[in-house]
Amino acid sequence: MHVLKPQFDPAIDIAPLPTAKTLRQRRNLAYQFVRFLGINLKMIRVIVSGHH
Amino acid sequence: MATVLILGAGIAGHTAAMHARRLLGRKHEVVVVSPSANWNWVPSNIWVGVGKMAVEKVTFPLEPLYRRKRIEFHQAMAVSIHPEGDAEHERGFVTIRSTMVGTKGKESQIEYDYLINCTGPKLNFEATEGLGPSGYTVSVCTAPHAVEAAEQLEKAIERLKAGEELRFVVGTGHGTCTCEGAAFEYTFNLDHVMREAGVRDKAELIYLTNEAELGDFGVGGLTFAQQGFQTTSKLWTESLFRERNVRAITGAHCTEIVPGVIHYEQLDGIVREVDFDFAMLLPPFRGAGMAVYDREGNDITETMNNPAGFMKVDANYQAGAYEQWSADDWPKTYQTPLYDNIFAAGIAFAPPHQISQPRVTPRGTVITPAPPRTGMPSGIIAKSVVLTVVDRINGKAKPAHEASMTKMGAACIASAGMSFTGGSAASMTMHPVVPDFKAYPVSGRDLRGTSGEIGLAGHWMKHVLHHLFIYKAKARPFWWIIPE
Ligand SMILES: Cc1cc2nc3c(=O)[nH]c(=O)nc-3n(C[C@H](O)[C@H](O)[C@H](O)COP(=O)(O)OP(=O)(O)OC[C@H]3O[C@@H](n4cnc5c(N)ncnc54)[C@H](O)[C@@H]3O)c2cc1C
Repeated sequence: MHVLKPQFDPAIDIAPLPTAKTLRQRRNLAYQFVRFLGINLKMIRVIVSGHH
Repeated sequence: MATVLILGAGIAGHTAAMHARRLLGRKHEVVVVSPSANWNWVPSNIWVGVGKMAVEKVTFPLEPLYRRKRIEFHQAMAVSIHPEGDAEHERGFVTIRSTMVGTKGKESQIEYDYLINCTGPKLNFEATEGLGPSGYTVSVCTAPHAVEAAEQLEKAIERLKAGEELRFVVGTGHGTCTCEGAAFEYTFNLDHVMREAGVRDKAELIYLTNEAELGDFGVGGLTFAQQGFQTTSKLWTESLFRERNVRAITGAHCTEIVPGVIHYEQLDGIVREVDFDFAMLLPPFRGAGMAVYDREGNDITETMNNPAGFMKVDANYQAGAYEQWSADDWPKTYQTPLYDNIFAAGIAFAPPHQISQPRVTPRGTVITPAPPRTGMPSGIIAKSVVLTVVDRINGKAKPAHEASMTKMGAACIASAGMSFTGGSAASMTMHPVVPDFKAYPVSGRDLRGTSGEIGLAGHWMKHVLHHLFIYKAKARPFWWIIPE
């Protein structure tokens, strides 16, 4: 039994939930492979800009 | 012949040592002083801390590698720096105290021509009573801490399996902590392992943080472009927490931890408490605490370091109020103002100020994340400092190399699960780490290099990075091609 009640961030309760399609995309191998390349490109951009 | 002395063999120190050795001729000496016999890929401690990775996978012994590379290694703590030498030493020197079995406690001196301070953070658990492994909470900041965390977690999961309902609190143990990304990642991993064990419904998971709002991550929050809109890391984190059933306590400074209860003050000045069955709270960081003496033996530590013990470099420490902060406040060369042969890289350098907006409670308690100096910036800075030192040793009259956190990016990937298709990750990239509103007036950052996304792709990326960085740290063939 938890008797002491802290105040929780209420914004979480009304935050947008992902749709079923978004959840599927997060696990879809083909889609995620494309995203993997996308994240790689983004990381390369970040890395190149940091190394002078 | 020149001696380059590097204090610390973490991400910054090891990067500095390996590049210095690669770039300097054999007649020059590269010396490393670090208290632990092992190198540790700290980001993967998260997986050790949930029992998903063996500690041997995130550590390896330094001595054989350094012997092979002809880097002189002293397993010791640096205790004091003497930049001007003394009556017996013409050059600057550092006093070290051995931490090795057999010679433990024995002091000696090492002279240097160039000193690179990469001593990272001192984990300041003492700042909050009851915080940390010698108190009532666990940590994942070091490999042994992570092992202990995993053991306690296993026991808690056994209790959940036996039908008990438990509360898990993960977050920051003080109002001035940094590395919120690590706490976020541990939260994400706890959720994952409890789902895997089929006991998530029995556990209440709470993220307790010093961030004024979720998604701040000590960098003042991020703005991303997503499906034709600009969104924020706040909404992104809130959405993830809603989906994963994580509750959050924000703007919190832990005041005291007693068995099973965390007392904390929030930004509204009210002191509250939350009880827990398992808590992983990060400590605030301090500088490593080496004293600095001039040639006459006068203590100049306070001139060299900021009040938190981090070494002052070429930053603007007089920036004033938040409204006056600018990207130009941040250091570029990491050379100390007093001595042009001493540098500080990684967490060891004193940042000019926070990145997040500073906040104080009505009681006067500061609750503001300290600026993160994560792995990528730590490595880039260390390499840049080495390039400067190498130029100087080789007599090149070039200006110092620059690596400002207002120009470089960082990635934070919270990844859980070990299998190729069974994991998940929340990945963020930001560019630059420190916002530059002159260059990027909308959000201070480049929207093309700043992102947040959830899915398997980030999970694969994190595993690739884990193997890549350990490969690089072990100096396997062509290691130096892999960027920091
Ligand atoms: C749990 C966790 C997860 C993280 N995850 C990520 C992540 O996913 N991505 C990321 O980019 N960053 C991450 N970070 C941050 C990253 O680990 C740090 O930014 C990085 O380790 C800083 O490098 P450093 O070399 O400055 O310090 P450290 O890596 O801490 O190294 C400091 C070294 O100095 C040594 N030392 C200390 N005192 C002395 C002394 N007196 N004399 C000599 N040597 C001394 C220490 O033993 C250590 O070897 C994480 C941090 C934590 C705690």
